[in-house]
Amino acid sequence: MKRSIKIAAAISIVGAIALAASGCAGASNQPIKIAFVMGAESDPFFQAMKVGAEEEAKAEGVTLIWQGDPSHYDVATEVPIVENIIAQKPDGLVLIPTDPDGLQAANDKAIAAGIAVANVDTHVTDLSKVVTFITGDNGDGGAKAADAIAAKIGYTDGKTYDVVVGLTSATATTNVARLDGFKAAIAAKYPGITIQDVAYSASNPQTAASNVENWLTKYPNLAGIFAIDGTNASGAAAALQAKNLTGKIALVGYDAYPANVELIQSGVFTALIAQDPAAEARLAIKTLVDYIKNKKSPAQRDVVIANVTLDANTSAADLKKYTYVAN
Amino acid sequence: MVDGKQSISFRERIQGFTRNQTALLVLVLLILIVVFTSLSGGTFLSTSVGSTILTDWGAYILLAVAETLVVISGGIDLSVGATLSLSTVTAGWVLVNGLHLTSKTTGVDAWPALALAALVAVLTGLLVGAVNSVLINILKIVPFIATLATFGAAAGMAIIISGGMPLQGPTDFSLINPLRIPGLDPKVFDTGLFSPLVILMALVTLVVGLFLHKARFGLYTYAIGSNVFAARAAGISIARHTTKIYLVGGALSGLAGFYAYVRLGGGSPTSGTGMELYAIAATVIGGASLMGGIGRMWGTVIGTLILITVQSGLLMIGVATDWKQIVVAVLIAGAVAVQTLQKKNGVR
Repeated sequence: MKRSIKIAAAISIVGAIALAASGCAGASNQPIKIAFVMGAESDPFFQAMKVGAEEEAKAEGVTLIWQGDPSHYDVATEVPIVENIIAQKPDGLVLIPTDPDGLQAANDKAIAAGIAVANVDTHVTDLSKVVTFITGDNGDGGAKAADAIAAKIGYTDGKTYDVVVGLTSATATTNVARLDGFKAAIAAKYPGITIQDVAYSASNPQTAASNVENWLTKYPNLAGIFAIDGTNASGAAAALQAKNLTGKIALVGYDAYPANVELIQSGVFTALIAQDPAAEARLAIKTLVDYIKNKKSPAQRDVVIANVTLDANTSAADLKKYTYVAN
Repeated sequence: MVDGKQSISFRERIQGFTRNQTALLVLVLLILIVVFTSLSGGTFLSTSVGSTILTDWGAYILLAVAETLVVISGGIDLSVGATLSLSTVTAGWVLVNGLHLTSKTTGVDAWPALALAALVAVLTGLLVGAVNSVLINILKIVPFIATLATFGAAAGMAIIISGGMPLQGPTDFSLINPLRIPGLDPKVFDTGLFSPLVILMALVTLVVGLFLHKARFGLYTYAIGSNVFAARAAGISIARHTTKIYLVGGALSGLAGFYAYVRLGGGSPTSGTGMELYAIAATVIGGASLMGGIGRMWGTVIGTLILITVQSGLLMIGVATDWKQIVVAVLIAGAVAVQTLQKKNGVR
């Protein structure tokens, strides 16, 4: 007898939960829930993106979930975070994959679970089921870096110049796209420039500084450094200042950390290539909300937001506009 | 039996040599230097590469020293890298947001601010060490999980406090530039190897090493790591001593945060990212056993040097730095193999 009562109670509880759940799903005034999952949350690029995402989420009445590994830009830590997010059943997911193949399965699993997925900044290999892919024009940013280095060293045809590139990882698609753009511009316009080496910092600015110090020994005639992201820019700037090489070696960095923007004025950076991560996040939320509410796909799936070159000639207003703001 | 005594087998010779841990490590280091020098066409064997290696050694050594103490006591500390990040950021925060100092303050003018930065960084490290101690000794959480928790919390707090951006403040880069013997032209003979801060890190290492090998602090550490029950039976307060170890470890990681601050000219929230694994690797390569009770400070000092030499060497010979992980893996496997051989021989 006791057992049958227990079973009846269990059935009624399950039934009540199911009813409640279906009630939730049916309610149309439930706010849309959108999750952002990125690599290293500490990266100021993502912090700046968060500012834009929060603004847009507030304007659209969207509940925002913001989650990434605190400081590791790593597939191994990002995949479980995506799995966890899928379990929370958001309406939309903005994924910033740390690796194009490593995150493919998690990306597709979210889509299979009925979540509208956007890729921002970096992307998975197969984008066919993704609502939108929004990125800064990294290829063009790389080309702009080549132009800035060439201008600084007074590039003349017939002369030879050594440059090196500091990256964070060999697989981050933004790093790869910037490097490709940089290489293409050099091949097309500056045949005298040779990219002698690339090295990885794995998100640690101390490693980035150490790489630059080693390069200074290895290439005594080093003409320029392309520091492909904020971490490398910080490390390279510190190494050149410590060795009293400010202004003697062309240093082009990426990402407008406030501290690095200040270093344009003092001549440490020849130029910084800046993206607009806040604009990327705003557009991602807008597109996903439109898709979730109206089931409307964007007219164009892939959107490219231009990069800008910040240098000593950039107006104060523009510098302010593109400098990343912390929360 | 008689045959065995007449000739010493090759295996026995190897076993005999591996008893001298420090000699073996120095040999590995020398081989690496010779290989990298020949493959780089000679550039590797230069004062400037040496000073870069020592600068990096200074960045890692205190984390490795902290790890060595903990590992010898039979624990593990996954939080050293994150503690570095948090400490460097709190130091930066106090100078930049608290005192409104900027990177325009340089040279000797920056020294008072830097002294304060060192103090703040060490206190932050001590705080993390205290949290580790509470989790391990009072809440009885195993060190792996306890320090995994503080690792996450410290890394997260570093981001929150800094807003995810480097806090650029006053610095004096000459503190991390190598000192040169005056009167000698560096173009003829470059004497610049050791920077003032690297010398400071070496002195701190020496002091901790003396405490480990010559004082009661070390005796207790080895006793607890070898056999915690015997140590307790001998009257050692396990909780009090492990608290000391994690506090010292925290303070050392905090001082490493100060080093990162001076080197980068500010507090950057990812300055310690990934460094805990290298601290553990350096400790193991140096001959410490993760089972506790075994390890030498000299081993860790050279183990760290070996890791950094591999990192610099691969870059100097133009091999993709991805290979670093593989070389490090081989070194760790080799170190553990040597340990196993020693155990068979009954050597500690």
